[in-house]
Amino acid sequence: MAYKRQFYPGSSVPAKNRRRYMDPKVKLKKLRDVAMDDVVRIMGHRNPGEDYKSIHPPIEEGKEPECPIRKLVVPIEGAKHGDRVRYIQFTDSVYFAPISPYQRAWMYLSRYRGVDTGTLSGRQIIEVRERDLEVMAKEMIDNETFDPALTGIRGATVHGHACRLDENGLMFDGWQRYVWDDEKKEVVYVKDQVAIPLDRRISVGKPDTMANLRKKTTIFRADGVDMRDDKEVTMYGLRIHKLRTLGGYQPWKVKGE
Amino acid sequence: MSDPKAPAADYAGKPLPEVQIMTNRLLSAETTEKVLNALDVIPNIRQINMTGESIPRMINSGPAKGMANNHTEHQTITVGGREVELKYLVGAFYIELDVEDEEILDVRLEQIKAACNEHIEHGYNLQVGRYSKYKPTLHDYRSA
Repeated sequence: MAYKRQFYPGSSVPAKNRRRYMDPKVKLKKLRDVAMDDVVRIMGHRNPGEDYKSIHPPIEEGKEPECPIRKLVVPIEGAKHGDRVRYIQFTDSVYFAPISPYQRAWMYLSRYRGVDTGTLSGRQIIEVRERDLEVMAKEMIDNETFDPALTGIRGATVHGHACRLDENGLMFDGWQRYVWDDEKKEVVYVKDQVAIPLDRRISVGKPDTMANLRKKTTIFRADGVDMRDDKEVTMYGLRIHKLRTLGGYQPWKVKGE
Repeated sequence: MSDPKAPAADYAGKPLPEVQIMTNRLLSAETTEKVLNALDVIPNIRQINMTGESIPRMINSGPAKGMANNHTEHQTITVGGREVELKYLVGAFYIELDVEDEEILDVRLEQIKAACNEHIEHGYNLQVGRYSKYKPTLHDYRSA
């Protein structure tokens, strides 16, 4: 049966953005170019230029059991080389950050292979083999889902996503991994994602204006686009709620769905 | 901030008015110092409490645990000639006013608003009420 993949209902701006970010056919806009070595420094798993550490033998050397699924699935580069699994974690402010953790999970699973991701209220971790992670991390820092002021790269102590912004418009970070450069009007990372000081300052560029962020966001807010104003999104939420509740407690009442 | 000089819980036995100033943005140490010094000259202020988001002196978890945090806003500011260590990025002030009647209260409120308007760039929300304890309750008599 020919099936056209669907992503998210609704006609409001956040609903359209959710569809865009999830659809792997949409190429996301590249807004900045942070050097790969700097991405590696911010993540802090290895030094730039250092070899990838491996804890498994390369797949070709290992004796894989006879398995039709293993023959079917093409391994990602990191898996081929037996890389370690490493992570990057983003925190997204509730103040109209371009994307929020739940949509990150949808986007990651829709766009990338070989990833494990975990959603929490304000942060989203992605775990993947190291060399693939670096490519993905650079893409995610460079593209439109990242805003220097409202998205934080934080491996631990992520507190701040629901706090008021500071006077420069930056999301609060108790460990101050990034600071505001008042001369260049840019955000600069001075610590890596677990707050170990970096030996050089890494600029991730200028934050976007609030007016633009409101057009880019996936976040429904009472002072932005209220989810209840998008009828289709509301009905979709209610339908899932109804089916889950009935499915859990009175499954015989689920008829014609 | 707990201060040994702070008034005892049973100082009045009646609720003096408290002004709550909730800022729209978290304030830098510099702005906090300016606001406090502008408030310091207003008469009838009995005490000012502040709160906000905590800035630890040390990194308290993860691989960098034990390293100095070096947060630029964790500073010692000078208010009315006295040094105050800021452990928070301040987002709220609670100003207790020792006033006799509403007429004086209104005058002081206007002065507080003028001080805030001058220094708090991104706006704030001001309310008058009572936001902290003013007499001991059962909890204060617990032995342990």
